[in-house]
Amino acid sequence: MNGTIVKNQLIFDFASGSLGQSKSIFTSTYLLLNSSASKIHNTFESMLGDNLFDNKDAEISNIKYTDCISSEQVPSTKIDNSISPLTKLVGPLEKINWKQIYKGFSEFKLNIEDDDELKLIKMDPGASVPLHSHGGKEYILVLSGSFCDEYGNYKKGDIQINDQKIKHTPVASDTDGCVCLAITEKEVIFFGRFGSFLNLFTFIKSFFK
Amino acid sequence: MNKSELKDLMVKITVNRDEIAFSNLFDFLAPKIKAYYLQNGLISENAEELTQEVMSIIWSKSDKFNPSKSALTTWVYTIARNKKIDFLRKNSKIKYNDDDIREFLYEKNETDKIEENEIENRVSKINSQLDINQQKIIKMNFFENKSHKKIAEELEIPLGTVKSRIRHILIKMQKIV
Repeated sequence: MNGTIVKNQLIFDFASGSLGQSKSIFTSTYLLLNSSASKIHNTFESMLGDNLFDNKDAEISNIKYTDCISSEQVPSTKIDNSISPLTKLVGPLEKINWKQIYKGFSEFKLNIEDDDELKLIKMDPGASVPLHSHGGKEYILVLSGSFCDEYGNYKKGDIQINDQKIKHTPVASDTDGCVCLAITEKEVIFFGRFGSFLNLFTFIKSFFK
Repeated sequence: MNKSELKDLMVKITVNRDEIAFSNLFDFLAPKIKAYYLQNGLISENAEELTQEVMSIIWSKSDKFNPSKSALTTWVYTIARNKKIDFLRKNSKIKYNDDDIREFLYEKNETDKIEENEIENRVSKINSQLDINQQKIIKMNFFENKSHKKIAEELEIPLGTVKSRIRHILIKMQKIV
């Protein structure tokens, strides 16, 4: 799968306002951590803006400019620039109440009403995830530390997008481990020795949702 | 209306609270904003409601517009888009305020200072590298929200061709931006 296209598509969908909440939070965090992605985003927004101004006029039937001046406006809230949107949502990463899935690998699910599941993933230094593939697309954004797999090395601000065709074995950095923000569109499929157990586990888990 | 005329109007609105300038801006912009909402599938009544909200924000928050951060076109677009998101999500339980993230991003932007005209240059570079057919497809797909199938029907080309052209365009864009 060509990651570049999917990344651009994600950034474009964010700029055009057509993402669900999970992907919207994911993408905004990505743009904050990755300046080249943020530049692409600015470019897309600017194109979309030019396009709005090029629109053929639609006929206005019921509103007048005086309606826009007279309407009382609530004073705008001050945006706190020191805290990122994600931190506002989950608090500082150090204080997260992780739930261990297996040794060296923990998760924290964000409670967002959306088809896409948004969660934080923590891998201890040197920990690895057994070989697996994905039922749907999986988006991973590195928030701290780094990990590598068969396809490359991913550090803070990098994203990896996986689909059905990809099988990989991510390994967290020996020194800092790795914390990531992840979106899974559908359940992950595991292979290998531990794979069958984990598959069964995710299978059983799905009954208790 | 050209860009410098728009800029003058914005200064009059922000600094002098000039209602005549605002009425000129309204006459120019409101029909375009409404067209944007119609493209996004809203019915005329809702499109006008949102247009009124956008124009109200332009009037009441005109001091929030920062010409060194973005073009007026981009600023207006982001307000209109955010209203669209609000509107479309109104019926779902909102636990997270999208407006906050986007305003946060807008204000945070100065961390990677964008050279003046850099974005404009990139946009025109993208346009210059795409041929007429590619420009047409990207306009239909991205800006008019037409599905691949609809584009294929309108241009009378196979669906696979539309998909591969869009892929091609996205790769090209990545190289340029």
